[in-house]
Amino acid sequence: MSKLLLWTSLILITLLSPFAGTVILDYNSLFESGSLSQRIFLELRLPRILLAFAVGGTLALAGLLFQTLFRNSLMTPFTLGVSGGAVLGAGVAIKLGLTLILGISAVSLFGFMGALFTVILLILLSRYLKRAEQESLLLLGIALSFFYTSALMVIFYLSSFTETATIMRFTMGSLSIVGYESVIISSAIALVLLGVLWLKRFELQILAISDEQASLKGINTTRLSYLFLIITSLAIGIIVSLTGPIGFIGLIIPHMIRRIYKRSVSKLIFPVFLLGGFFLLACDTLARYLSSGSEIPIGVITALIGGPFFIYLIISKQK
Amino acid sequence: MIVSDLSLGYFEESILEDISFKVQSHLCVLGDNGSGKSTLARALCGLLHYKGSIKIDNQELANIPSKERAKLISYIPSKMESFEQFTTVEDFVLLGRYPYKESFKDYTKEDKELVARTLQELGISELNRHTLHELSSGQQQLTLIAQALSGESKLLIFDEPTANLDPKNTALFVQEFKKLRQNYQTILITHDIQLASYFNDPVLFIQDAKAELFETDFFNTQKLTQAYGINFKKEDTLIGISYE
Repeated sequence: MSKLLLWTSLILITLLSPFAGTVILDYNSLFESGSLSQRIFLELRLPRILLAFAVGGTLALAGLLFQTLFRNSLMTPFTLGVSGGAVLGAGVAIKLGLTLILGISAVSLFGFMGALFTVILLILLSRYLKRAEQESLLLLGIALSFFYTSALMVIFYLSSFTETATIMRFTMGSLSIVGYESVIISSAIALVLLGVLWLKRFELQILAISDEQASLKGINTTRLSYLFLIITSLAIGIIVSLTGPIGFIGLIIPHMIRRIYKRSVSKLIFPVFLLGGFFLLACDTLARYLSSGSEIPIGVITALIGGPFFIYLIISKQK
Repeated sequence: MIVSDLSLGYFEESILEDISFKVQSHLCVLGDNGSGKSTLARALCGLLHYKGSIKIDNQELANIPSKERAKLISYIPSKMESFEQFTTVEDFVLLGRYPYKESFKDYTKEDKELVARTLQELGISELNRHTLHELSSGQQQLTLIAQALSGESKLLIFDEPTANLDPKNTALFVQEFKKLRQNYQTILITHDIQLASYFNDPVLFIQDAKAELFETDFFNTQKLTQAYGINFKKEDTLIGISYE
């Protein structure tokens, strides 16, 4: 019942979503070619909806994957500093005024490098931890996040007023786009992540039970973990460079889906992706409803909803 | 399985040195805590790098592709370990079929039927929808055995199967173990002298990184006292579980 309610309300929000925003669309002229309403719908609202969906889904899946690999529901790309690394990388690219490297967006490339660097650093550092000290990895991630934030402050300090404003706006997260380029990139990365997880769902299921079970069944656990981590770094790096950091999705969504579905991880891949997509879309719709003139950054909305919600989850779990 | 001059260690530390033995049908591995019995088990399952030779069906273990190896040997740990909250018994036992599964595809109908039959044989069919965390220690043990059996391997390695079981479940385990011994080769790693002496298999006794093989006659007070360095005695007044 709660499942039906959840999905119905999310689909309703999706249908209402195109009509939220400072300009109110006129239903009648929506199908008139060349009308203002139609242009706003096709060039602003629709791409934005698709972007929100792909980004939300990808962030949620990345969260699910990290939680499974590190066996701790607090371990997500966001809490472990992978997003932070991507933000710093992207910030450096913006500061240096780089646009294209070998035909690839420099901000994306630096974002990916930042994310990948963080993951490699975490893997190397975790070798010094004993098995029982998995929590220490979280502390390492938090330490890295602080470090990245400070490094970004240094970049702010060194930057001109306009550069600072650009980077600042970027770090708040935004889904505001024109046209379909970001949509195509983010959908592609979402499909790659979804595809890899789907193809490797049985391996992921065994890995979620224990490393030992996976090794006994003939799975090369190290290689599989690296594959997952690199794909996730790629996804996070690119997504962050497109939209800025958008927090809490990777943390909350897998949590909610586990509570609703109570199944093993291999059966959660699609629900997590869909709920992540719908959730970010709903947050963005809310942001557009609330905004008058200038927009509330999406990262702010997800954190404002996600923070209290997460506290509620933790407290209600204790009962 | 034929093991010759096997040496194992983590990093520089040597755990076992120059061990040789053969498993004809059944073998019992005894030894003190921390003597390296579980390390040996992990090596025999192909999970560790080793020096020397472990041959199974005339093939060197290290050269067998990992999925093929998983079809030959099944390992039953002493305790169920699962980080995943919602794994059901059926899902877990189905993992025994993983090495036979085609990449990217779902488990076949035959796999699922085999699992259902195995659960039935072990008398735990009604548990198939339960999650692992809902099971008692005895039920977890049976589930682990079910997974191993659904893997259809010839050799089963039991790592301290009775360590977490109460007397009732121990007796239940022994009944199952007796049946399994007729169709499978087994390696039993245990501290349970009563259990080991009941089956009276050849014994590999591990101490101080060395191993000695006793084909027969290990279970008398003199040998045991000598091996373990503590006193053993045989008295009628001592009470043990009847395995009959």
